[in-house]
Amino acid sequence: MSLAARHLEENGISTVIMGCAKDIVELCGVPRFLFSDFPLGNSAGRPFDVESQRLTLELALRVLESAPAARTTVQSPLRWSEDARWKCDYLDLTTLSPDKIAERRKEFDEVKSIARAKREAS
Amino acid sequence: MTTTVPGTKAAFAADYDAPIPYMQRTRDYYQVLGFRPYRWAHFADVPFTPLRVPLARARVTLITTAAPFQPGVGDQGPGAAYNAAAKFYQVYSTSTETVPDLKISHVGYDRLHTTAADLNTYLPLGQLQAAAAAGRIGALGPRLHGAPTNRSHRVTMETDVPELVRRCREDGADAAVLVPS
Repeated sequence: MSLAARHLEENGISTVIMGCAKDIVELCGVPRFLFSDFPLGNSAGRPFDVESQRLTLELALRVLESAPAARTTVQSPLRWSEDARWKCDYLDLTTLSPDKIAERRKEFDEVKSIARAKREAS
Repeated sequence: MTTTVPGTKAAFAADYDAPIPYMQRTRDYYQVLGFRPYRWAHFADVPFTPLRVPLARARVTLITTAAPFQPGVGDQGPGAAYNAAAKFYQVYSTSTETVPDLKISHVGYDRLHTTAADLNTYLPLGQLQAAAAAGRIGALGPRLHGAPTNRSHRVTMETDVPELVRRCREDGADAAVLVPS
C-alpha cells in the first residue's frame, strides 16, 4: 500500500494511508499517514463503533488536506483498550514450545505452497 | 498500567504501551521458525503532491487490500484462520454505490484481538459515502480498487501499482485514501 501511495503521488494524485503498522509504513516513507494504534485489521476504526469509524476517516481527511510536507504521521487519539497488554501478544515467541515451533513451520510451508499455486494459476 | 515518575505527580505509560514493533517481531519470529528475513520496502525520498483542489471539490478514490469473497476456497469469514487460497493477484475494481463482499482472511491481521466481523473496520466505504453526501469531500470515486498483497516488490511496483494509477486516473481522482488491512 505504501508503494501505491508513493506512485500515485508521483503521478499527481494526493494520498493518505489509514493504517495500524506504524513502523512498516514509516520505514517505506509515505506522504501522509493516519496511524491508529489498534490491532491489525482495524485501520478504519473500532468494530461496530460508528463514531470511532467516523472520527478515524475525518482525521485521515484532515491529514490529506493539511499535511505540510511528506512523512506526515498523525496518531489517532483513540485507544483500543485501557489495558495495553494486547500489544505484547503479536507473534509472541515466549509462549512457543519446540513442538509448537515445528507445527508453525509446517503450517507456514503449507500456506506458502497454497499461495504459490494460486499465484501461478492466476 | 503506568509508572509514577519519581519526584513528580506524573505517570509514565507502561514500556509495552507503544506502537508494536512489527518488523522486529516478524524478523524474530521467522528466524526462530528457520526462514529468511523479509526485507521491507525502504526509501530515503518521499514524493509529495499537495491536494490540487479543496477537499470539498475533490474526487476521492478508495483503495483497499481486502479481497473479494471467493466461493469454494474455504472459510473467509470473521475469525477465519489465515487463508492463502483467498488471496488475489490482480488489481480489481468494484462499484462504490453498493457494499461489496470483501474479506481479509488472506492477510495477517491480529486474530487474537479482533475478528474482522465488521467490514467498516477495514473498509471505510460507508464513511466515505457519508462524507460525500455531507459535502466534506467533493465526490467518492465511482469504483474502489483492490491492491494485491503480493510478497514480490517487483510485481507490486512494475505491475500492480501502475495499474492502480491508471484506474485512478480513469476515474478522475484528485486524491486517494489507501487502507491496508
